[in-house]
Amino acid sequence: MSREPLLPALVFWLVLALLPLWAPGWLLGQLAQHLGYGLLAMSLAYLWGQGGLLSFCQALFFGAGAYAYALAGLGRLPLLPESPALGLLLAVAVPTALAALAGLLLVTARVPTGPAWAVLTLVLGVIGERLAVASPFLGGSNGLAGLPPLALPLPGGPLELVDPLPSFLALLLVAGAVQLALARKIAAPSGSLLRAVREDPLRAAHLGIDPVAVRLRAFMLAAAVAGLGGGLFAAQFGFVAPPLLGLGLSTEVLVWVAVGGRGSPLAALVGALLVKTAEGLLGEWLGAGWPLALGLLLLLVVLLFPQGVFGGLLARLARP
Amino acid sequence: MPVDPVLLLLDATAQALTLLLVASGLAVTFGLVGVINLAHGELLMAGAYTALALDRAGLGFWAGLALAPLFVGLLGLLLDLLVVRRLRERPLDTLLATWAAALVIRQTVVALFGPASHTIQPPIEGSVLVLGAPYPAYRLLVMALALLVTGLLTWLLFATRVGLMIRGTVADRTLAAASGLAVRRLDAAAFAFGAALAGLAGAATAPLLSIDPQMGLGYLLPAFLAVLVAPAGGPVGTAVGAALVGGGESLVSAFASPVVAQLAVLGGAAVLLRRVAGRRAGRER
Repeated sequence: MSREPLLPALVFWLVLALLPLWAPGWLLGQLAQHLGYGLLAMSLAYLWGQGGLLSFCQALFFGAGAYAYALAGLGRLPLLPESPALGLLLAVAVPTALAALAGLLLVTARVPTGPAWAVLTLVLGVIGERLAVASPFLGGSNGLAGLPPLALPLPGGPLELVDPLPSFLALLLVAGAVQLALARKIAAPSGSLLRAVREDPLRAAHLGIDPVAVRLRAFMLAAAVAGLGGGLFAAQFGFVAPPLLGLGLSTEVLVWVAVGGRGSPLAALVGALLVKTAEGLLGEWLGAGWPLALGLLLLLVVLLFPQGVFGGLLARLARP
Repeated sequence: MPVDPVLLLLDATAQALTLLLVASGLAVTFGLVGVINLAHGELLMAGAYTALALDRAGLGFWAGLALAPLFVGLLGLLLDLLVVRRLRERPLDTLLATWAAALVIRQTVVALFGPASHTIQPPIEGSVLVLGAPYPAYRLLVMALALLVTGLLTWLLFATRVGLMIRGTVADRTLAAASGLAVRRLDAAAFAFGAALAGLAGAATAPLLSIDPQMGLGYLLPAFLAVLVAPAGGPVGTAVGAALVGGGESLVSAFASPVVAQLAVLGGAAVLLRRVAGRRAGRER
């Protein structure tokens, strides 16, 4: 899809914004966390749907953002003060830098988007998870707990984002802004460049587009969005551990995005919210059967709805 | 820590040959049929669990080794029928769907056998003196099996009619179909055969590893790296790839901790893979 339809997005955000009028606090708190996951889903939809780069390690950048927030929030970084705000900044900067580094390995004109790319992303995910588990600096397999919450500097004193309502509203604003920004990016000329490289890197290169640079930028942008989601998630959750960057979460994101629709960040976000909500409702009842259900769901969606459940719907709306 | 060079070399060879056995099925499904099957590790795991189940049922290890290829081959046939053949035109979705299938197989195993890990006793105990160093007899058997399978694969591909048909399909699918070859049936047969090899490898390596539901990825990544860094297609290329990845990991782990060795080999293979993939892409143009 080359254009995100604006109207469904606005309706969606309006409905979410009106939710606090009747929804109970626990639901808002849960949705705030899920919106953090939603940022991760949007990052993958951009990378995969627009860039054709199917990553099996997108949670690595989410987790890197979460860990960056945790380290800065706990004041564990040398020379840097103990500051949640700085943590949020690093939650974007560190994954972006990591993506630039990983991109040296992954994003070259010659490693195409096929098997080598997929296996390399898996390798990256495994390396990241093992390093996090083995590193005492990152808290090993126990992770880091007791993270401070984010605080908004308001005129009447700082407002800590602890209660469900302010957390929800903050996440709503950030996720909404990111979704609209990604929609603009997709519709912009640079979005066309990314799709051109996805469709045919050779022809794109012949037309004077540098496929490596275009892909690397997309990879870094997706990492930045995922890292922002990870940082905000950690700020609310108060706890980070290796599963936040592992292959398990990376696989879950794939399910959300495939179910929602890979072509559109909005559809992917809706997919994340729906699947996570379903997990909340059914997970306890299904117990260990939930991952099995997720696998079957992913299989069915890939076979029957390659555009995702909402992706097809949105594409129809986008048609003039 | 003094390291016995003979033992070091033996360990490296053992690991390389075990990896060769593990990667041989992948060399068929990926190298020949061209399907990137991310559930391959779980097929290997299914082979290991078949051996475990039959061993527990009192049928002994050898029954498991014989039946695992059959069972996992059938599983592969099913996977081809339900998933892989429907996505032939959508390679990116094949990746995703086989990854989903991997999750389904893994969770089914958790439901049947529980999340804990299990072990099987090697069917033959004792050790044999190799170049003056005592070496476990069962490991030597697995090494021999790897060489046998590679030899058989080479023979099958390059000296039989079926092998000719498969190579013809790989070289030019349209022409092969136009010449009257049942390419879809050949695909299915080759895919199931690759799965059967995975079952055999899973059962054969089961006594050497701890068997748990998460073991698939431990098989998948080294095997894929071995096949991907192989300088040429075919069984011999796979052997070179397996020697690089498996032997490399074994040699590094003699001097560093296993985690460091795994990371070093994964990283090294990834860098190597970039070069090989680049060269292959250049050749295809």
